Amino acid sequence: MTSITASRSSQLGATTLLTIVILALAWFVGFASRLFAIVRFESIIHEFDPWFNYRATHHMVQHGFYKFLNWFDERAWYPLGRIVGGTVYPGLMVTSGLIHWILDSLNFHVHIREVCVFLAPTFSGLTAIATYLLTKELWSPGAGLFAACFIAISPGYTSRSVAGSYDNEGIAIFALQFTYYLWVKSLKTGSIMWASLCALSYFYMVSAWGGYVFIINLIPLHALALIVMGRYSSRLFVSYTSFYCLATILSMQVPFVGFQPVRTSEHMPAFGVFGLLQIVALMHYARNRITRQQFMTLFVGGLTILGGLAVVVYFALVWGGYVAPFSGRFYSLWDTGYAKIHIPIIASVSEHQPTTWVSFFFDLHITAAVFPVGLWYCIKKVNDERVFIILYAVSAVYFAGVMVRLMLTLTPAVCVLAGIGFSYTFEKYLKDEETKERSSAQSTNTKDEKLYDKAAKNVKSRVLFDNVSCPVSVCNAADGEETAVSGNVRTVISIILVIFLLMFVVHATYVTSNAYSHPSVVLQSSTSNGDRIIMDDFREAYHWLRENTADDARIMSWWDYGYQIAGMANRTTLVDNNTWNNSHIALVGKAMSSNESAAYEIMTELDVDYILVIFGGVIGYSGDDINKFLWMVRIAQGEHPKDIREENYFTASGEYSTGAGASETMLNCLMYKMSYYRFGETRVGYNQAGGFDRTRGYVIGKKDITLEYIEEAYTTENWLVRIYKRKKLPNRPTVKEATIPIKGKKAAQGKNKKGVIRTAKA
Amino acid sequence: MRTLLPLLLALFAICLAQQQTLDEKVQNLADLTARQSIVKFNMDKWKNLVRMQPRNYSMIVMFTALSPGVNCPICKPAYDEFMIVANSHRYTSSESDRKKVFFGIVDYEDAPQIFQQMNLNTAPILYHFGAKLSAKKRPEQMDFQRQGFDADAIGRFVQDQTEVHIRVIRPPNYTAPVVIALFVSLLLGMLYVKRNSLDFLFNRTMWGFVCMAITFIFMSGQMWNHIRGPPFMITNPNTKEPSFIHGSTQFQLIAETYIVGILYALVAVGFICVNEAADQANGKDKKNQQKKANPLSSLFSIPANTLAIVGLVFICVFFSFLLSVFRSKYRGYPYSFLFS
Repeated sequence: MTSITASRSSQLGATTLLTIVILALAWFVGFASRLFAIVRFESIIHEFDPWFNYRATHHMVQHGFYKFLNWFDERAWYPLGRIVGGTVYPGLMVTSGLIHWILDSLNFHVHIREVCVFLAPTFSGLTAIATYLLTKELWSPGAGLFAACFIAISPGYTSRSVAGSYDNEGIAIFALQFTYYLWVKSLKTGSIMWASLCALSYFYMVSAWGGYVFIINLIPLHALALIVMGRYSSRLFVSYTSFYCLATILSMQVPFVGFQPVRTSEHMPAFGVFGLLQIVALMHYARNRITRQQFMTLFVGGLTILGGLAVVVYFALVWGGYVAPFSGRFYSLWDTGYAKIHIPIIASVSEHQPTTWVSFFFDLHITAAVFPVGLWYCIKKVNDERVFIILYAVSAVYFAGVMVRLMLTLTPAVCVLAGIGFSYTFEKYLKDEETKERSSAQSTNTKDEKLYDKAAKNVKSRVLFDNVSCPVSVCNAADGEETAVSGNVRTVISIILVIFLLMFVVHATYVTSNAYSHPSVVLQSSTSNGDRIIMDDFREAYHWLRENTADDARIMSWWDYGYQIAGMANRTTLVDNNTWNNSHIALVGKAMSSNESAAYEIMTELDVDYILVIFGGVIGYSGDDINKFLWMVRIAQGEHPKDIREENYFTASGEYSTGAGASETMLNCLMYKMSYYRFGETRVGYNQAGGFDRTRGYVIGKKDITLEYIEEAYTTENWLVRIYKRKKLPNRPTVKEATIPIKGKKAAQGKNKKGVIRTAKA
Repeated sequence: MRTLLPLLLALFAICLAQQQTLDEKVQNLADLTARQSIVKFNMDKWKNLVRMQPRNYSMIVMFTALSPGVNCPICKPAYDEFMIVANSHRYTSSESDRKKVFFGIVDYEDAPQIFQQMNLNTAPILYHFGAKLSAKKRPEQMDFQRQGFDADAIGRFVQDQTEVHIRVIRPPNYTAPVVIALFVSLLLGMLYVKRNSLDFLFNRTMWGFVCMAITFIFMSGQMWNHIRGPPFMITNPNTKEPSFIHGSTQFQLIAETYIVGILYALVAVGFICVNEAADQANGKDKKNQQKKANPLSSLFSIPANTLAIVGLVFICVFFSFLLSVFRSKYRGYPYSFLFS
């Protein structure tokens, strides 16, 4: 007897040890696979938004948290400025600031940039652990380990959390999963403690990412579904009510959120479910205390009146302006044509496009095919907490279909359910039927067998774990001997499934390495020999700005580059990636799409000193401003329909082109001139004509471009960034600026006239 | 002098007459649009009200062919949208705006001469006759190709041309709510009829199928199809060979999304078969109790071994097929399984 308990406890110890080892390995693999960008380039912040986050973090570390909350940034949105403290989710900055502070007080001094760069990979490990805990609560520890390993390397999550991509999503997915785990836990136990912890974790999520709205709608949906399914319990009542009250109060502490939890429609379903839950609780309480007749009149009558009243009150509040109606971003999730008509600035972002099946497969691979299996078994063996993952998966798959960026919220659900699917199969098939006992010896055998695949440590360890775990969890229940699936078939199936897992690992690594590890600040291309060429034009230009312009110089560029200019060049920008003021953006768009003199007027009004454009025609970079130009025109047209008309920028046949057939408006607009100034003199290849645009693949429409009101200040090595300076025009009252002729013959006349006037005066 | 005076008088009279005709015209138009929001033109009205100066109002005229004899499938919807704009103008615009812009229509059946005069042989066409437009000048045409012909676009066109802003009010479309209401009442009716056996609501297999169907629908990109409206398949103009799979990752055809959705489903079915095989094996020991609760497994009266192998083949074949479809779109993807 004692020996059996001893072996049990040693088994338990081994299981715990293995669990810890596997989770640590998952953390390590997740961390390591996110370092491609660092190894290839350097420790650098990626893309656009991360540059702002980094700048804000830097500011916070330098000036302290309270100064940060009150930070008014006069270097953005000139001349308006931006109240940063009240318009950001501070969770990201606080997290990395805290890590920096801890490291500092341990006398381990690192620059805040390194903390920022490595934050997302570090949190991917925490996400894996949170996923393990969630799946463990939902299904079994084995499934949890599968899910943890999946999420550690799943491309859908890696896409937002490679080293250097210092963005809210990096920590938010951890907060999301952890909140869900605590919610499921509190629902299972019905304890106020877990519910309070859940609310705390929710608070962290609210402070980190706007996607918290998903949680505050999903959890009430879960509660509602449980009530409808007749699964109401006092545990649900305790956990939901304490969660809702605490979470609402806590989330209101974040300055950016403020009173939204009680004043916007997005948060109202949670409140409605809270009210409903009180009624249901009262009903359950009263059921045993009054007669059936009384009960029916009380509740059927009372519920109808109350429900009707709630709807009426809600609409009255919306109508009276006390509760804001649903926001446009929310509508665009349901009515998919909404954003295109009403909010072009949202529709213009590539992240907000619908998702093709290719992106689904690209980001999920085998897990996309297996996760419906997990869903199937969750429905088959449904219980209170599995209702949650079912709702999560079904709603997330819808949202991911509508918007590419919401793949991120789908990925955790997919990983959890695919983990359940795989562990369900492996629990059945990896169990050896000949021997009931002696599992440890057997597992070491398999361990030796499987050691050949060094490429994927986590897969191997996954397999290992299931060897160990299945005797604990399943073998006791199953009698074992006369299973109909023969041993050979079992082996074949197990091996093939392991091959699929290997393919997933290889795919995830390939995708991470090739698609998601580009900083986009530094470009890379390869020569015909296969050598790598690094093109560092962006930083070259930003550095030039930093060194050669006045400290208070104002730089006009399209909003995509605002954060980078502020972060790297430390100069004032007019618009940036925080697209809060559409009319200001439209004004910049108007300047870019007007002719030189009109643009000069706008630029003078806005105090612009330098203009920065991105031009990819020399190296064939497709993300340049000419390709984005149509959006500038469209946004400008939205605000200034009289001056800017989209159709004027098309060729006669209605195409968008800067080539031979380009319209006169196109050829004279500021963007065209700045992009192609002196481009006609260059030859990109030895057998190409001058002025051949590599990105568009044709010769440009007009080669002799003269600039009247601006002058070229700097062009980087590969022409990727071109900077122009606004000329200070001489103060000559006799000659009107607008009448300075531009073209040949007239110009000659004008000069003569001027000469005449001068001689006459003299 | 004597000859001059009548001349002057005559001139004055003509001026007066014209002055009156302008007022009369406006009055006439106001009368015409009092009962219905658009003017139906015949040759007389057309000459008088549109082509003859003086005018101080703009005419927005749609040339169309509404009679069923003429084969013009888009004339009717374009006319409906035009009517929405005209009605919105009639009911929401201010008095002075209503004097500035009038809406009219020329039907080919009523006045083919006007079509000839304008040299038109297509319909529908929307013209704006500005206030200053003289008789022979070509009016501004709205480009239906680019701008479309829905009411908002027409409203924008009118605003661009005449600076009269029309708040387009679409009469609410009741079809969707009615269909939904019908569907819901049908559902409720069915529930009421079957109220004694509501078991199917607790049938997990059904719910499982519903949820899996939802995931397959969205994962195969049907939402993308719904928003972007791609063609079902493309025929190569040179070789006349139909292609079901588009070669770019940014685009997809409806046919290929169906293929992909079915492949996903088959892989999932393969997995479930494999699992059911093992469950069946365990279930036998447990005196078939599991089976009764689970109607699906009773379908699988095939031996567990076969079932497992069939499932495995399903997984391998269809997943490799999925991979190869993916490879044909995503150029340069290096990994494949079974098929290239």
